[in-house]
Amino acid sequence: MEEKELFEQYFREKSIEARNQIVEKYFYIAEMLVKKFVGRGVEYDDLLSVASLALIKGIDRFDLSKGVKFSTFITPTITGEIKNYFRDRSRLIHLPRRVSELKANIKRASDEFSAREGRNPSVRELSELLQISEEEIVTAMESSAPLSLDRAVSSEEDEEGENTFLDLLPDKNDAFEQLEQRDAVRSALKELSKEEQTLVFFRFGKELSQSETAKHMHVSQMYISRMERKILEKLRSSLKESLAE
Amino acid sequence: MKLMSLEFPLGNSILTAVRLVTGGICARVGFDLDETEDCKVCVTESLLLLSRRGGKNVRVLFEQEDNLKISFESEDVSVAREEVPEEEISVALLSALVENLQIFSEGHDMRISFGIGKL
Repeated sequence: MEEKELFEQYFREKSIEARNQIVEKYFYIAEMLVKKFVGRGVEYDDLLSVASLALIKGIDRFDLSKGVKFSTFITPTITGEIKNYFRDRSRLIHLPRRVSELKANIKRASDEFSAREGRNPSVRELSELLQISEEEIVTAMESSAPLSLDRAVSSEEDEEGENTFLDLLPDKNDAFEQLEQRDAVRSALKELSKEEQTLVFFRFGKELSQSETAKHMHVSQMYISRMERKILEKLRSSLKESLAE
Repeated sequence: MKLMSLEFPLGNSILTAVRLVTGGICARVGFDLDETEDCKVCVTESLLLLSRRGGKNVRVLFEQEDNLKISFESEDVSVAREEVPEEEISVALLSALVENLQIFSEGHDMRISFGIGKL
C-alpha cells in the first residue's frame, strides 16, 4: 500500500493493525539512524527501543495535509529522541523518573486547562484533574533539571558573572561559626529568669502568638509584649558581648 | 579561519581516517563529546551522499567561524538524485543536526556545506 493510503487507513480506523503496517514499512529508518549513533556507550538494542518508540509516537503526529513525506518528517523526530536520550543519560544527577513524568503530566494538564478555560489552573484544580495531592503537585512544579555547580551565577550582585554556584556554598568554617552562635544563645538564655524562659519557650519554641502565650502564662498580652521586648534587648546585648570575646 | 583542507579518493576504507581527523579538529575547537560525535556523523553522512552520487574524489574544508563550518566538494558525481532514494533520509538527518545546510548539485559538480556547534 502507498504511504498516503496507509495513513488514511490508520487515521480512519485508528487500529493497532493499521499502525503496525506503517511501523513495519518505516522501521528501516529507525534501524538506519540507530546504526549512525552506535558507539557512544549505549547498547544498540537500547537505542533501537528509543528509535522505535519515536517512530510509533511520530505516526500519530504526522500530518498528511502538510505535503511532507513521512520519511522526511520522521528522520529528525527519531534523531531528536536519540539525542535527548544521550543527553539524559549523560547527566550525573537525574530527577527521579516519577517526578519527571509528573512534571510532564502537570504541564499537559495545565496547557489543556488554559486552552479550555482561558486562564491558568490553580494547584487545587490541577490536583483534582490529576487525582494527586496538592503537595505532590507543588513538589513537582518546584523541581527542575539539575544545574552544574560550575555554572555562573547571574544576578544583580554579580554583574560580571564571575561567581559560580560552587562559590556560593558555605565554607566549612561557617558550620563552626553557627555552632558558636548556638552555644552563645544557649548561654544567654540561661541568664534569663524562669518566667522569661517560659515566654521564650512559648513564643519561639512553640511559635505561639503573644495572645496565646499570655493565656498559657495567665497574664495580659500587653505584659507579654513588654516582657518580650525586654528579653530581646537582654539577649541582644548578651550575645554581642559573648561574640565579641 | 581555515583550519584544514583534505583531498582524497572517496571510498569506505578512508571514512575511518576522516572521522578520526574530524574528531581531532572538534577537540581543537573545544567541542564536547556529544558535539564531536554529531560532527563525525555529519561528515560521514556527507561523504556517503557524495559517494552514492558516484563521486570519486572529494575536497573537504574545515573552517572556524562562529561555529565549525565544513564544506565538501566533488567534481565527478555521475548519478542523478532521483536514483538515490536514501538521499532524502541523509538530508533530513543532516538538517536535524547542523545549521545552514546547503546542497548544490549541477552536472558533475556537487557541494555540501553546513555549520555545526557553537564556538
